[in-house]
Amino acid sequence: VMWCFSQVKGAIDEDVAEADIISTVEFNYSGELLATGDKGGRVVIFQHEQESKNRPHLRGEYNVYSTFQSHEPEFDYLKSLEIEEKINKIRWLPQQNAAHFLLSTNDKTIKLWKISERDKRAEGYNLKDEDGRLRDPFRITSLRVPVLMPMDLMVEASPRRIFANAHTYHINSISVNSDHETYLSADDLRINLWHLEITDRSFNIVDIKPANMEELTEVITAAECHPHQCNVFVYSSSKGTIRLCDMRAAALCDRHSKFFEEPEDPSSRSFFSEIISSISDVKFSHSGRYMMTRDYLSVKVWDLNMENRPVETYQVHEYLRSKLCSLYENDCIFDKFECCWNGSDSAIMTGSYNNFFRMFDRNTRRDITLEASRESSKPRATLKPRKVSTGGKRKKDEISVDSLDFNKKILHTAWHPKDNVIAVAATNNLYIFQDKIN
Amino acid sequence: MVYAFHCSLKMIMKGQKRKFPPEDVEVSDRCSPTWESQRQFVFSVSLSKYQRGQELPEPSLRRSVLIANTLRQISLEACRAPCVEREMSPCSSSSALQGKERESAFSEVTAAKHHSAVGFTNSHPALGSCPVPSSNYLSNCATNRCPASYHLNTSDVPLSVGDEDEDWGSMSTDPDFSLSAAISSILTALDSTIDGSPQAALRTPLRSLENLSRPSEGSMAGVKQGVRGYGGSWEQHQQQEEEEECRMRESNMEAMRSSYLSDLTVEDLFQDIDTSLLERDMGVLGFRGSGGGYPAGDDLLRYLPPFSPSSSTSSHPFSLSLNQNLKCLPSFSTFSPLSSSSCSSPSLSLQPSSPFSGQNHVREGLELEHLMEILVES
Repeated sequence: VMWCFSQVKGAIDEDVAEADIISTVEFNYSGELLATGDKGGRVVIFQHEQESKNRPHLRGEYNVYSTFQSHEPEFDYLKSLEIEEKINKIRWLPQQNAAHFLLSTNDKTIKLWKISERDKRAEGYNLKDEDGRLRDPFRITSLRVPVLMPMDLMVEASPRRIFANAHTYHINSISVNSDHETYLSADDLRINLWHLEITDRSFNIVDIKPANMEELTEVITAAECHPHQCNVFVYSSSKGTIRLCDMRAAALCDRHSKFFEEPEDPSSRSFFSEIISSISDVKFSHSGRYMMTRDYLSVKVWDLNMENRPVETYQVHEYLRSKLCSLYENDCIFDKFECCWNGSDSAIMTGSYNNFFRMFDRNTRRDITLEASRESSKPRATLKPRKVSTGGKRKKDEISVDSLDFNKKILHTAWHPKDNVIAVAATNNLYIFQDKIN
Repeated sequence: MVYAFHCSLKMIMKGQKRKFPPEDVEVSDRCSPTWESQRQFVFSVSLSKYQRGQELPEPSLRRSVLIANTLRQISLEACRAPCVEREMSPCSSSSALQGKERESAFSEVTAAKHHSAVGFTNSHPALGSCPVPSSNYLSNCATNRCPASYHLNTSDVPLSVGDEDEDWGSMSTDPDFSLSAAISSILTALDSTIDGSPQAALRTPLRSLENLSRPSEGSMAGVKQGVRGYGGSWEQHQQQEEEEECRMRESNMEAMRSSYLSDLTVEDLFQDIDTSLLERDMGVLGFRGSGGGYPAGDDLLRYLPPFSPSSSTSSHPFSLSLNQNLKCLPSFSTFSPLSSSSCSSPSLSLQPSSPFSGQNHVREGLELEHLMEILVES
């Protein structure tokens, strides 16, 4: 697959406003819509335009469909703390009617948004004028039936449900269940199960808070529902373990059904072994047979039937292993990278530093490093593979580890559910790349 | 007490950072000095990160846990590593400590610190045999009490009897942390006895108190720091859970308290302190004391760090220890807005070789006095 540039969204300005930093990217189930959330609490939804009939060999572009303010900064008066409006996650609901629904969450509150289109307007009311003024009843001499007239498309976003006050700690994940009725939300210590219709109650299904907080050594970092089995979900921890739970077994899933952990390699042990083993993202494959986890230096694919080790391990940026001390000092070691599958589960993608992102083909075992940059942003320009030189001798076009820009990190990426179209969030810019169609 | 160690750590860490830049390649050989320097560097960086994180209004739990775990691991590795050619013998006492209970380990650590601070270097046999090369270790060990989950698990942490003076002296030179924290704790103690909601300004330290139905004596300061880190910062939105936690904490505190203050009475501890001034000020602030110095004393006692009961024969070392601990707390004489005394402990006896620099205390005393004036007048 040859990847080429398609579009870039966002300001070109060198000065990046904190609120514009993209914090989550997600395609909907059909791939028609692409949603981004930012630190300012806004959600921007892009819609895929139909391919033009003149040039069917080009994929359509994604254009802004709707923008709305999902979360506002709040103040917790009891604790004198400000609650950030940053959108941590967006998850689409499967489409059931003309409207689109998505869940968006910040640290504390999850909201269900309905995005609906209005492209018709009723005209010819009996009691009202076209400008809304009430007609004088004596003037009404005949009855008429209002007619629907086309109007400019208006996309409205309205909050339909607000799921609040259920999390003491910061929400890191939400995941819609395959039953399309429930979803789970996970914070550092607890996971709650919600019904989409009920906002005043949620079931707590996992609670790892110790009786004495001083004994806390592990937190929940990510959670996801199984794509097909509505009773199964997984959650990952800061110690590099994944627990698979079955909600049929007990109301409180503190006891896992499966426990995934790879034994540590004693030769690579360091002071930072635990920190780099902390899992930042967990994603089921579309098939439901595998799951993928992202820790600081690698991506691992696990077979759900084998708990003692992953079936595949891909090194994302092994050249950083010798730099862990510096990365610890500048806090980069705590960065939480996400990962994603392609539609057929044959490839996986994750981000790195210097606006690099990596893709791994599971069948051919080939990997590629690409860069999301303005320089390679010419329309339909093929992206050049990038390489980081690890040895002393730096070849031409290679970049040395010390020249990497650790402020340019790609934490959020998304892959279209069907096509080879990817969305890569680079700070405040959203890059859309697609495969070259010949 | 706990705050004191934080100050000394901050001081040391600043130096530490400059002294030990990160190595590119991590040395896995424990016996090499590079490994040791790396370990110390990582330790100091971890410590400063942890502290800075805790000072944030809402520290990231995942980050705090990861840093705390790293700190613990480094501390453990410090003792497991063969002590290289330094002045002393390998940590033979570590095994002795490992078998001890939580509370006794805690009190021993405390005892060693107090004793060594006043020059009782080898008073405690088990600890005396495992001194540690540099003063860094004192801060290293000290902070094992400060981060949330350490002071109980790292029983085999080596202790320093080294450069105590430096550390004790530096305790009071970190104005923002110890001062505000100390004052806040005193004020919240007063507040908690007054009916009514605490002011917004006192929320930060109050958080750590919210999980306790009633503060207990002595051991509170040490545990509070830990509580503050995790449990204190996140309130329960369910009343039941909160009560449950209070009960848990209380029982923990009970266990600790009993081992510290069994041989002491309030009178012993406060014999050197002129509480009459304090009483008057309590009245000014609305505190309804019951005549004697005890209610006030009780409140203040809760914020004093725990004392080891082991050397209860002479009150002298205790008063000295008390002095030194009190250096980090506003002195009683400064409670009075009318007091012109700027020295933190005029009525407390001090050895001539007191490690404290008078200048620091004058400064601290003046600041405290000023703050108390504002509070009293408002």
